[in-house]
Amino acid sequence: MTTKTADAVSLTSATKRFGPVRAVDGLTLAIPRGQTVALLGPNGAGKSTTIALLLGLLPPDSGRAALFGLDPEQAVRQGLAGAMPQEGGLIPRVTVRELLTFVSGTYAAPLPLDRVLALARIEDLRDRRVDRLSGGQAQRVRFAMAVCGDPDLIVLDEPTAALDVEARREFWDGMRGLASRGKTILFSTHYLDEADEHADRVVVLGHGRVIADGTSAEIKRAAALTTVSVAADGESAWLATLPGVRHMEIRGGRVHLRSGDSDATVMALARAGAVRELEVAPADLEDAFVALTTKENA
Amino acid sequence: MWGYVRLELTRTLRDGGYVIFGIVMPVVMYLIFTNLGLAPGDRHDAAIYTMVSMAAYGALGGAFNNGSGIAEDRAAGWLRQLRLTPLTPAEVVAGKVVTGAVAVVPSIAAVLMAGVLVNHVTLPPQRWLAIVALLWAGTVPFSLLGLGNGYRLSGQSAAMANIATMLTLSILGGLWVPVEKFPSWLGAIAEWTPSNSYAGLSWRIAFGDVPTLRQVVLLSAWLLVFGVYAVYGYRRAGRRA
Repeated sequence: MTTKTADAVSLTSATKRFGPVRAVDGLTLAIPRGQTVALLGPNGAGKSTTIALLLGLLPPDSGRAALFGLDPEQAVRQGLAGAMPQEGGLIPRVTVRELLTFVSGTYAAPLPLDRVLALARIEDLRDRRVDRLSGGQAQRVRFAMAVCGDPDLIVLDEPTAALDVEARREFWDGMRGLASRGKTILFSTHYLDEADEHADRVVVLGHGRVIADGTSAEIKRAAALTTVSVAADGESAWLATLPGVRHMEIRGGRVHLRSGDSDATVMALARAGAVRELEVAPADLEDAFVALTTKENA
Repeated sequence: MWGYVRLELTRTLRDGGYVIFGIVMPVVMYLIFTNLGLAPGDRHDAAIYTMVSMAAYGALGGAFNNGSGIAEDRAAGWLRQLRLTPLTPAEVVAGKVVTGAVAVVPSIAAVLMAGVLVNHVTLPPQRWLAIVALLWAGTVPFSLLGLGNGYRLSGQSAAMANIATMLTLSILGGLWVPVEKFPSWLGAIAEWTPSNSYAGLSWRIAFGDVPTLRQVVLLSAWLLVFGVYAVYGYRRAGRRA
């Protein structure tokens, strides 16, 4: 019964240490069904360990992990989750078709093989040996293994890390089809534009903790990083005291003000008669990310 | 689990190491030894004795090769991938053991067939049955040793360790050259090897004798030792997976 209403993913104060390192440090995260969530963070932020905890591949030292209200291992046994680890999972001496037929066969209600091949865009590779695929092709086969059982939750650890631009685009086209079928998707990524573009919600990790959680727009706002710039003209230090300004920098003959409230900053500039070649640039997620993670380091 | 066994058997049959060490070499060596007069006894006895030796040698090849596959799978992240499917760990281990048990059958069958078809070996039906059953069931200790190496060691070193162990046990156990031709000190060692007891069961049957209690006890003791080793290797691998 709990499985009908429980969140797809639930981590409660989960902690995992490797020796002296706290890879995951009291992390709490709930993902309702149907959301597409990006797990964003620099190397060593704890993304892969978080994923290993919630899939039941590693036991937490303390705290609790659950999928659909069940123990993760139990949820995996019931075919509720499919996952693509960051690397590996392909074996020599089998064809793509043999491999996927086997993986599908372990699930109670898998997708038809043709659907899986189409979804992963590997129709033309079905009779190829798995050990003779290019990096991009192998990645698509790994993706097919994660989705072929038609699980409700799909977890992808850096799914596009090995792909070129074209292959990444194709990959996300396939993913959109899945999300529109009501699947819950959790993916980790280094590519900030992917989180921005493909996730309903972005969870930023740093040092094994959640340091920001919201839509990408909310994250950018929280990071207070819209840049307001004007041409420099004489003494400029006073600009740093304008409403909303958090940081000031002068380069290339311009004053760059990073602001948490760009409206207030621009109004104040106008009142002071300081609007000269005004430019307002919204933060991209990359800036937000850098700001959030460096704030964390400080 | 049967889907897993099927997949693993498909992979085994495409594995050059398995085909060479498990099937081709034992058959070729059998035909060379018996037809160039290198085997002991008269031609008929030699054909029977060496048939059992080489079938045992091939079965060892198949059994150890299966263990090396585990190390390869672990290195490829395949064991982790299996943990992300609805298969239980027990099903995975059982599937691998069943695969090993099936994989030794062609090795044994190929040499026995060569004995019948090329060297015209004839035995009463009940002796054939007993030999096949003992050659087959007797591979379990070696499968466990191979799996233990596969779980404990990394890909390349597991394969090397298994081939080295397989060859050492084959030669020391008197599968290549009968123990009677060993110097006495080496013969004394050979009598304690699991491979000598293993083939010994079927040698005795082939010539109308009953296996000795010593052979049965010794092979059972090795079964226990290698079983403990395999469990130890599996637990260690589990902690790192």
